[in-house]
Amino acid sequence: MNPALRIARKEAGELVLGVRGQIWLAVTTAVLSGFSLLLVGSKELSLLDNAQVVYDMAGLVTALGALLAVIAGIDAIGGERERGSLLPLLLAPVPRGSILAGKLGGPVAAWGLMLALAAPYFWAVGSTGQNLVSGMVALLVLGTPVVLGFGFLGVALGAWMQSGRTALSVALTGLVLSASPLLLGPSLRQSAIGRIFDAVNPFSAALNGFDAVIIDSQGAITQAGHAAVAVAWLALTAWAAAAAMRRVSR
Amino acid sequence: MKARMILASASLAVPLLIGAGRPSYAANTAAPTLPVATGQAASLTVEFAPVAANPPAPRMGDRLAFTSSIRNTGATPVEGLIAWLSLVQVDRGHEQPVDLEDWSAHKAIAVASLAPGAAVTTNWPMRLIQAGHYRVVVSAVTRAGVALTPSRFVDFTVAPKPVVESGRVLPVALGVPALLVGGLLLRRRRS
Amino acid sequence: MSLIEIDHLKLSIGDAPVLRDISLEVAPGEVVGLLGPNGAGKTTTIAAALGLLRPQGGTVRLMGGDPWTGGAALRRHVGVLPDPNGFYDWMTAPDYLAFFADLHSATNDATVIARRMDRVGLAPRRGQLIGTFSRGMRQRLGLARALIGDPHLLALDEPTNGLDPRGRREMHDLLLDLAEQGVGILLCSHILDDVERLCSRVCIIDGGRTVAQGALADLLAAQNSEMRFRLELAGPLPQDGAVAAHVRILHHAAGYAIVDVDAHVTPPEAWRELFFLGWPIVAIAPEGGGLEALYLALTGGTAPASPEMERAA
Repeated sequence: MNPALRIARKEAGELVLGVRGQIWLAVTTAVLSGFSLLLVGSKELSLLDNAQVVYDMAGLVTALGALLAVIAGIDAIGGERERGSLLPLLLAPVPRGSILAGKLGGPVAAWGLMLALAAPYFWAVGSTGQNLVSGMVALLVLGTPVVLGFGFLGVALGAWMQSGRTALSVALTGLVLSASPLLLGPSLRQSAIGRIFDAVNPFSAALNGFDAVIIDSQGAITQAGHAAVAVAWLALTAWAAAAAMRRVSR
Repeated sequence: MKARMILASASLAVPLLIGAGRPSYAANTAAPTLPVATGQAASLTVEFAPVAANPPAPRMGDRLAFTSSIRNTGATPVEGLIAWLSLVQVDRGHEQPVDLEDWSAHKAIAVASLAPGAAVTTNWPMRLIQAGHYRVVVSAVTRAGVALTPSRFVDFTVAPKPVVESGRVLPVALGVPALLVGGLLLRRRRS
Repeated sequence: MSLIEIDHLKLSIGDAPVLRDISLEVAPGEVVGLLGPNGAGKTTTIAAALGLLRPQGGTVRLMGGDPWTGGAALRRHVGVLPDPNGFYDWMTAPDYLAFFADLHSATNDATVIARRMDRVGLAPRRGQLIGTFSRGMRQRLGLARALIGDPHLLALDEPTNGLDPRGRREMHDLLLDLAEQGVGILLCSHILDDVERLCSRVCIIDGGRTVAQGALADLLAAQNSEMRFRLELAGPLPQDGAVAAHVRILHHAAGYAIVDVDAHVTPPEAWRELFFLGWPIVAIAPEGGGLEALYLALTGGTAPASPEMERAA
């Protein structure tokens, strides 16, 4: 078996079968269930509110996916280094690039699991509303590079920083900053600084794409600009992770 | 939804709501049979009516369209013409103006100059976002005018559609975590 | 061809020079001890030899190639037991070994894996998660991992850490057996008893420099250092008057004897001679002098702490 695939399988298995991964899966379902149950009693929701629900859920899934991916990425290098299990892997006859590619198996598996877990929730809250299928396609197309980019960022931070705790602090700060459009109102995002931030922030790119497709009923193909920002983010973080991996010695 | 509505111009809402004292709100989607009302401003007339292709019993999510024709009936050109769409909800006890933000992307037109006798025709598409009884009108003003010219209003009713079904949500919201936790416990017992 | 060849190695980490002048060689079939105080550069030397760190001067050859540019291919037949030794606690030992067998392109057949586990004494733990293993079991598992790929070279850092006396003896026997089969072993240890029992050559480093390298017996002879031991005896010494050629009895009482071993022979050779003469020896322990004295003389006087003492500090 290709060593990268073998390592990826190990990373994915650790996420699903390890205690940390299982707890995270339970937390994810709890958050999604809580969010869905809030809607059950409100029968008077308008069609727009339903779209808002689907949009909010897409943003929530992307944020949770990014959080899980960055934690998995940090643990893949920094956490293993602290547990002493990284060195045997570095000393195995496997190229660094293959190790890096394999380490992404954790964030990829995490995101795949998130999407699989979220699918029934989307169906439950959005199947009688508008743009559910196109919204889920947008989540897949825009959310995936954003989430995997945070996975690469986690790998880079875990490799650069000697302390996993420090890497986690930096990563969470960056994630909160990037996900702040979820919390800020539209008016704040219309300021000059807000617009500049929106233009370069991968999270904003994903959210704006979700907004356009789910709420404004625009076609997914029209979101090429937002997709470009998300893909650029993925490329930048992949480069950072590769550069950091080359410097890891133990 | 109500929190997201932005109040339309109060001066528009009041005359529309006064008209809400009518005894019933039958959906009025047929072409008007009464003589077209003209506005009080001397040089403009505004005709407004639903298109024939509108569904007879619209529900949430359906699309309606209206058409307007604004004619300069004066002898001189009309400068700086602006016409806009206004919507109010007229359900008893829930009378309020409706923010068109999500109902229609086409909320107004502007015409620099309208020659005498000329008319500008506009199509006004609309997506029905919330159930209820509604009244819609087009109003027009000019730069030199001293009063606005409203069209006759058109009533329509939007039937509700349940969009968040507890029958779907509860099994998922409760079942998925239960399945996950059950699977984890089973695996733990086996190991 | 030497398995590891290091010649005047210089290496800095950041701006700090860590290795100033290291020379070291490991040939097939020999066990070379790498000794030095804490911070001398032992781990850095091993890291450079295996291609994890890039040197700024000197030459490093691993299996005949440059480990920094030669990439993963050179490590295909190298087994490493690092310290500390971490694992994937959520796996079982067979799954763990199968994972590394895949990375080494070695067979991950269940029978072969079972044989590897049996060789290091872990067969009864086959179904348990690694997270439940004791430190000694983890050390055994680490050795099993190092032996995947049938290595030509083993680099072991404190291999007897956490092992009970029987485990230590089994580890010694296994390593000597591997050396007889032609495997070269680089042994980094603070337990001088292990070094004396296993190593035919040692390399002592201090402050990033090699201060002594060569056959243990030659180094001891060069230092004019005698080897003194206390022998626990199960009975009286033979009465036929036969005298050991290379052992001088300093003191003899009921149940023990203090002897000096000539610097020109290794202790195992001396014990073979005494066993042949009928000495009822049940235990052997250093009694000052020997490798410890050599080490102290060459490295500024601080005896190497045992790993347990280091961790306590």
